[in-house]
Amino acid sequence: MDPRTTEKLAFCFLRACIWIVVAFVAILILYIVIQGYSIMSWEFLTEMPRNRMTEGGIYPALMGTAYLVGISMAVAIPLGVLSAIYLNEYAKESRSTWIIEMAINNLAGTPSVVFGLFGLALFVKYLAFKPSIISASLTLSLLILPVVIRASKEALITVPQEHREASLALGVTKWKTISSIVLPEALPGIVTGIILSIGRVAGETAPIMFTGAAFFLPRLPESVFSQFMALPYHLFILATSGLNPMETRPIQYGTALVLLILVLLINSIAIIIRKHYRKKLHR
Amino acid sequence: MSEINNFADIEVEDLNLWYGSNQALQDINIKIPSKSVTALIGPSGCGKSTFLRCINRMNDLIKVCHIEGRVKIDNKNIYDEDVDVVELRKKVGMVFQKPNPFPMSVFDNIAYGPKIHKVPKKDIKGIVDKTLQDSALYGEVSDRLDSSALDLSGGQQQRLCIARTMAVEPEIILFDEPCSALDPISTNKIEDLILELKKDYTIVIVTHNMQQAARISDYTAFFLMGKIIEFGETNQIFENPKEKRTEDYITGRFG
Repeated sequence: MDPRTTEKLAFCFLRACIWIVVAFVAILILYIVIQGYSIMSWEFLTEMPRNRMTEGGIYPALMGTAYLVGISMAVAIPLGVLSAIYLNEYAKESRSTWIIEMAINNLAGTPSVVFGLFGLALFVKYLAFKPSIISASLTLSLLILPVVIRASKEALITVPQEHREASLALGVTKWKTISSIVLPEALPGIVTGIILSIGRVAGETAPIMFTGAAFFLPRLPESVFSQFMALPYHLFILATSGLNPMETRPIQYGTALVLLILVLLINSIAIIIRKHYRKKLHR
Repeated sequence: MSEINNFADIEVEDLNLWYGSNQALQDINIKIPSKSVTALIGPSGCGKSTFLRCINRMNDLIKVCHIEGRVKIDNKNIYDEDVDVVELRKKVGMVFQKPNPFPMSVFDNIAYGPKIHKVPKKDIKGIVDKTLQDSALYGEVSDRLDSSALDLSGGQQQRLCIARTMAVEPEIILFDEPCSALDPISTNKIEDLILELKKDYTIVIVTHNMQQAARISDYTAFFLMGKIIEFGETNQIFENPKEKRTEDYITGRFG
C-alpha cells in the first residue's frame, strides 16, 4: 500500500479509538445527569430517607461517604508518602526492599473484596472496632495505600539527582534536602496519585459492605465507631434489594449523580492545589 | 613530584578509592595550596572527578564506594569518625558540571543555603546582593530576582550556582568541569570569575579543556588511570613537563 495511505489509515484508526472513549464517557455522564437531574434539590441532599427509602433524601449516605474519604485520606496520605520517601531516599537496594516493593505492587492488584474480608477480620473482629466508620476507613486506606506509595515514589524518582546533590553540597542535611527541595518538586506528582485514590475511596462498595456500611440508618453516625450509610452502597441496595427497584430509579440516579459530582469536586480541588504548586516551581 | 611550599589547605595522604572491586584512585598524595587555583587534568575516566568528590565527601552518596587514606583540611582528616559531613560541606562548596539551579526564584536559590543555616532574615537580602555582585551576575539579573532561575541562560545559571555556593561562605570551592555545558562567551565569564574568586577562596577545578587549565590555574595535577602522574606549577607542567606521559597528553598525543 502507498505509505501515505497507510499513514492516513493509521491516523484515522487512532482518532476513532479516542472518539470511542470520549463517546462512552460522555454518554455515561450525560445519561446519569439526565436521569438524576429531576430529583436534584437541596432537600434531596439534606434530608433523611423516608418511607422505606422510596422517598426523601440521601443526607446520611452523603455524610457517610464524606467521613470515609476524610478519614481514610488522613491515614493513607501521610503513611503512603512517608513510606515512599523511605523507599526512594533512604532504603538501600537489597533483597528486603525488593520484597517490600513486590508486596506493594501485588497489593495494588488485589481485588477490593479481599481487602473487605481482611478489614472484617482485622478491624471489625480482632481489634473489636465493630462494623463502623473507623473500620471501613482503615480498610479503605489500606486499599489505596499501594496507589499512594507508587505514585509518590514515581514522583520522587523524577526529581533530578542534581538537585539533591546541589543541596547536600551546600552543607544541608539529607532530611532538610528532602523536605525543602525533593518533596516540593515531587508534590504535583504525589497529588496526582492522591486524586486517583479519592475516587476509589468514594466509589468502593465491597470493602465497606464488610466493615460497617448500613442498609438503612435514619440518623447520622454519632462517632467514628458508629455504623454509617455511604453513597455507593446506598445505590447498590436501592437498585438490588428494594421491594420495587423501579420505584426508586430516580433516587438511584440522583445518588449516582451526587457521587459523581462529589468525586469531581474533590478532584478539582486537588487539581487546583497541584496547579498552585507547579506554578510555585516555575515550571 | 615537585614540592610546593605555599601554605597548603588540603593535604591528601595515601588516598585509595574503590568502586566495588574496581580501584579508581591509587596512592594519591598531593598538597593543594591555599588561595590559588589548582586544575586537575587528564583523560576521561582517569579519576579526577572522583578525586574532587573526595574533598567534600560527595562520594559518600555512592554505596559501593570504599575509601582508605587521609584527606586533611586545616590539618584535620575529614574521614575521621568525629567529622560532621554537613559542616564539612559548608566549608567545602561544590559547583557541578551541569548548571543545577533549584526550580525556584533567583533570590530563593541563593537564600536557600543561608536560610537553612539559620542566618537571620534581615541579613539574607544583603547576602544575596553581595554574592550576585561577586559572581558578576548582579547587573544581568538584579531586576528579576523574583523570576524563575530556570529562565536564565545556561551561563547565568552556572554563575547563579556559584553565587549559591558562596552564600554559605565556604573556604574551598570545588569545580567539576563547570564550563563543559556552556558556550565560549559564558565560559569566558566563568573563567574571569574564578580568577577573581581565588583571592578569597582555595579553588580546585576539574577540566577537560587544556587551554582553560593553562589560562586560569596556578597549579596543575595530571591524572592518569587513577594516579597522579605529575603535579606542579601550571607553567612548568605545560612548558616543561618532567614526565613523558604528561607531555604526550598535553601535546595531544592521546586522551
